[in-house]
Amino acid sequence: MTGPTPDDLSTVPHTGEAHTADGHLVEPHAEDFAHARPAAADPDWYKRAVFYEVLVRAFKDSNGDGTGDLRGLTEQLDYIQWLGVDCLWLPPFYASPLRDGGYDISDFRAVLPEFGTVDDFVRLLDEAHKRGIRVITDLVLNHTSDAHPWFQESRSDPEGPYGDFYVWNDNDQKYSDARIIFVDTESSNWTYDPVRGQFYWHRFFSHQPDLNFENPEVQESMVDVIRFWLDLGIDGFRLDAVPYLFEEEGTNCENLPRTHEFLKRLRKTVDDEFPGRVLLAEANQWPADVVEYFGDPTVGGDECHMAFHFPLMPRIFMAVRRESRFPISEILAQTPEIPAGAQWGIFLRNHDELTLEMVTDDERDYMYTEYAKDPRMKANIGIRRRLAPLLENDRNQQELFTALLLSLPGSPVLYYGDEIGMGDNIWLGDRDGVRTPMQWTPDRNAGFSHTDPGRLYLPVIMDPIYGYQAISVEAQQNSTASLLHWTRRMIEIRKRHAAFALGTFDELQSSNPSVLAYVREHEAGGTPDRVICVNNLSRFPQPVQLDLSAYAGHTPVELTGGTPFPKIGDLPYLLTLPGHGFYWFQITPPTEDDA
Amino acid sequence: MSEDHHDTGGSTQLEERALVDALVARLPEWLGDQRWFAGKGRTLRATRAIRSTVLHDGEPELLHLVVAVEHDGGEERYQLLVGLRRVLPEYLEHGRMTAVGDRVAYDATFDPDLCGHLLELIDADAETEGLRFVAEPGVELETGLTSRPVGAEQSNTSIVFGQQYILKLFRKVSPGVSPDLELHRALREVGCTHIAVPLGSIEGELDGDPVTYGMLQEFLPNAAEGWQMATTSVRDLMAEADLHADEVGGDFASEAFRLGEAVAAVHADLARALGTEAVGADVVRAAAEDMRRRLVSVVADVPELEPHAPALRAVFDRLAAEATATDVQRIHGDLHLGQTLRTVAGWVVIDFEGEPATEMALRVERMSPLRDVAGMLRSFDYAGYHLLAGQGPDSQLEYRAGEWSARNRDAFCDGYASVTADPRRQPLLLRALELDKAVYEVAYEARHRPSWLPIPLASIARIADAAAEETP
Repeated sequence: MTGPTPDDLSTVPHTGEAHTADGHLVEPHAEDFAHARPAAADPDWYKRAVFYEVLVRAFKDSNGDGTGDLRGLTEQLDYIQWLGVDCLWLPPFYASPLRDGGYDISDFRAVLPEFGTVDDFVRLLDEAHKRGIRVITDLVLNHTSDAHPWFQESRSDPEGPYGDFYVWNDNDQKYSDARIIFVDTESSNWTYDPVRGQFYWHRFFSHQPDLNFENPEVQESMVDVIRFWLDLGIDGFRLDAVPYLFEEEGTNCENLPRTHEFLKRLRKTVDDEFPGRVLLAEANQWPADVVEYFGDPTVGGDECHMAFHFPLMPRIFMAVRRESRFPISEILAQTPEIPAGAQWGIFLRNHDELTLEMVTDDERDYMYTEYAKDPRMKANIGIRRRLAPLLENDRNQQELFTALLLSLPGSPVLYYGDEIGMGDNIWLGDRDGVRTPMQWTPDRNAGFSHTDPGRLYLPVIMDPIYGYQAISVEAQQNSTASLLHWTRRMIEIRKRHAAFALGTFDELQSSNPSVLAYVREHEAGGTPDRVICVNNLSRFPQPVQLDLSAYAGHTPVELTGGTPFPKIGDLPYLLTLPGHGFYWFQITPPTEDDA
Repeated sequence: MSEDHHDTGGSTQLEERALVDALVARLPEWLGDQRWFAGKGRTLRATRAIRSTVLHDGEPELLHLVVAVEHDGGEERYQLLVGLRRVLPEYLEHGRMTAVGDRVAYDATFDPDLCGHLLELIDADAETEGLRFVAEPGVELETGLTSRPVGAEQSNTSIVFGQQYILKLFRKVSPGVSPDLELHRALREVGCTHIAVPLGSIEGELDGDPVTYGMLQEFLPNAAEGWQMATTSVRDLMAEADLHADEVGGDFASEAFRLGEAVAAVHADLARALGTEAVGADVVRAAAEDMRRRLVSVVADVPELEPHAPALRAVFDRLAAEATATDVQRIHGDLHLGQTLRTVAGWVVIDFEGEPATEMALRVERMSPLRDVAGMLRSFDYAGYHLLAGQGPDSQLEYRAGEWSARNRDAFCDGYASVTADPRRQPLLLRALELDKAVYEVAYEARHRPSWLPIPLASIARIADAAAEETP
């Protein structure tokens, strides 16, 4: 049941090359490598940034082995810059036996050999910073792969320096109130290890033993891992599975106070030693619980800078399918204020399934019926599909969803390929269906790799609607009417208005249940930037009367074309919207001429 | 007492009386254009002021006025809020009533400057010349908010303050405390969460009877009417080529279920606050007799109902024959989807005035809560079928409308039953109440909206058919 320590790290620095005199493993240091040039100083960058999640494996293969790599990604940075992306989010690229998509890390200080080396990563960082793009990556604090040398030491030498690095117990009865997360593969949070003769604790897969954060040495070791990458120049981390760091009998072992204490310590390290770098919490919880991960609001937040807003995403889908704004209105009304220094991360799709943990049972049944018509589209408690096929390739809906993503409160996270409307392959196992190669050109392997098509890590999408001959970056770059150009323009508009990123959010009263309207407002240097977004969630044209009397005398100017609309008066403002249509307006104050 | 204030002397009062007289003399024409004026089409005989109070002196001035309007159908009393300005700005022009001396009188509900005084008076628990402005116990109001009147209403005028409050002014003044205020107060006291919380009132006396002039409530910004929500779902279903009501994305059943929960909770709270009472079979028999009488009178007016009369009579007869004791309590009295609001926190029931066309004495009677349930069930039927009104027959769309209605009626009852007694456990009474309501609808549609007449007629045919099948 153990994965071997990958031999192919032998030519690069890696953990466990030797032992120190006191029995500790020798681990690589940042000083062993070159460092990237720093990104331009900007303490609030994460509040404004448009994020782009890209899987190294899926983006570009530079060496023709059929798998994307860091050098390939570096080659495509010009495209990412052209699109208007501010920050890349890379899921883990660490050494790993890859039994959980790289989230099973077997060496925190080495790069998965098929992706390249630490030096390649530093080069990527340097080239990205040169283009004004930042890079963050996932870090799994909670657990390691069972192939990690720490675990190998821990199981074979209970009395050694790593003996207490994991959560061991003589039976499997402890912490019985903790739920099992991967219900469809795991039957218990404990697994027996015949080598040590004890059970070890794991909140996720049985090959991912949980680290024992009660051991100060474990805490110190994980802080050092973070220092290692920050030294090289990385801009931040998405902290994976963060609610589960500590365990306590009689609790559900999630969101415990000591977990927050550790995060405060981590944040302080980042602020003191690496200002401007960010921590993003992956806590799949209700917003009222997630805000805890921002830390103390009286100091502007002292834990994570960002956290994902998980429940918003399924509710956007539900609202559009029900043609009712309430699923969105409700969750935003339930979302508490966040500290001054904090920001939500919001997304439509990512590399995981469309998570349905944050909806009620009824709603989950509903989402399955509506968006996962084939049972193979379901995974764990979610739906594994990309945006375009979820929306039946309806361009209007893709635009509406993207407009919502770019205008609701939070920093938007795009998922690679969704900007061109890529499809998925539900016949691939696990969540691989949404992880197929990026479609660059209509050429062989979609321009992703020069290799023999049979050698690709996953087949490219080939069906007549979503296949690379129909959908590719190259084709869409050549047509200004394409979804890609549209997405790029919308990102550009978003960036012109600080209100989208930093503004307050207030839903506007609307009598029409199918129309979601809100105002975003941000004041800088005495001038307010006000943007009003009106979204028709129905497939049918809709009228709406908005109470804009607070802006009487102002003129709404439509943002994509700059057309001034009729001046706002005291009476309700009437708008008509086409099916799935939306408007973004800037509200401009009366000028001298109007007086 | 306010009626006496004219005699208290002083030139201001004298001026006021002259002003009121001049104003009232020119009212008939203006009244005829007001949506809330119930005497439209009648020949007005006389208009006189019953009482007047200056609520705010100065420029502009705010005058509270109750006028009696005598016409060939009798006498009605109306509440007016009159603003007076030397120069009427353009934004108030649409409220203009008439010129009085060197000033212009206008409908003050359009004037944010004057409406703000109403809020201040309530906040101050002011009493002036028998007009009592009352904040509910423990309520502190934020004043200084901008106000605006909301869209045209049938019998009231509502003013929204900021995003916080809504003041409903009852235009037609009837003796007795408004059931709307009474029930809202009772529900607030027991902590009901499915209402817009009452925050204050404007009350007084007329001819020795208490009257309610206005009620201030929390404003629910961003709420949508149940009718709009339901018809959105119906549109979605009708646009699908081959999906059933439980398969389309716009399925409303989960909302209907929650709406059922909300209505049941309101009923339970009303029972808790104001009591229940068991009434004997004789009361039910009397109700059945009323239903028969209504049927006879509507059949006389609307011949289209004639073919269904025997089946209807059979149901009402059976109710009389099998009548048993039942529980009665205070209820909403005029419940339908348009009296429900979906807010981000759930469903809210509004407007507890009862059926406005009935007398106040009947509106405050205890009744079976099944009457409200029947009203909702009828409303779901309307929502399901209303898109077909005025169209040629289309059996497929009718089938779908029926599916939508059945599914959401069931879901509503399921939700209701999850909180309190399942209304379907009194099938005979529920069916009779529903049919009685449909007979009323037939009369209403025949008079006001003939193209919708087939909706209640078709419902009657369906319900009566089902009843006939069950009868041994």
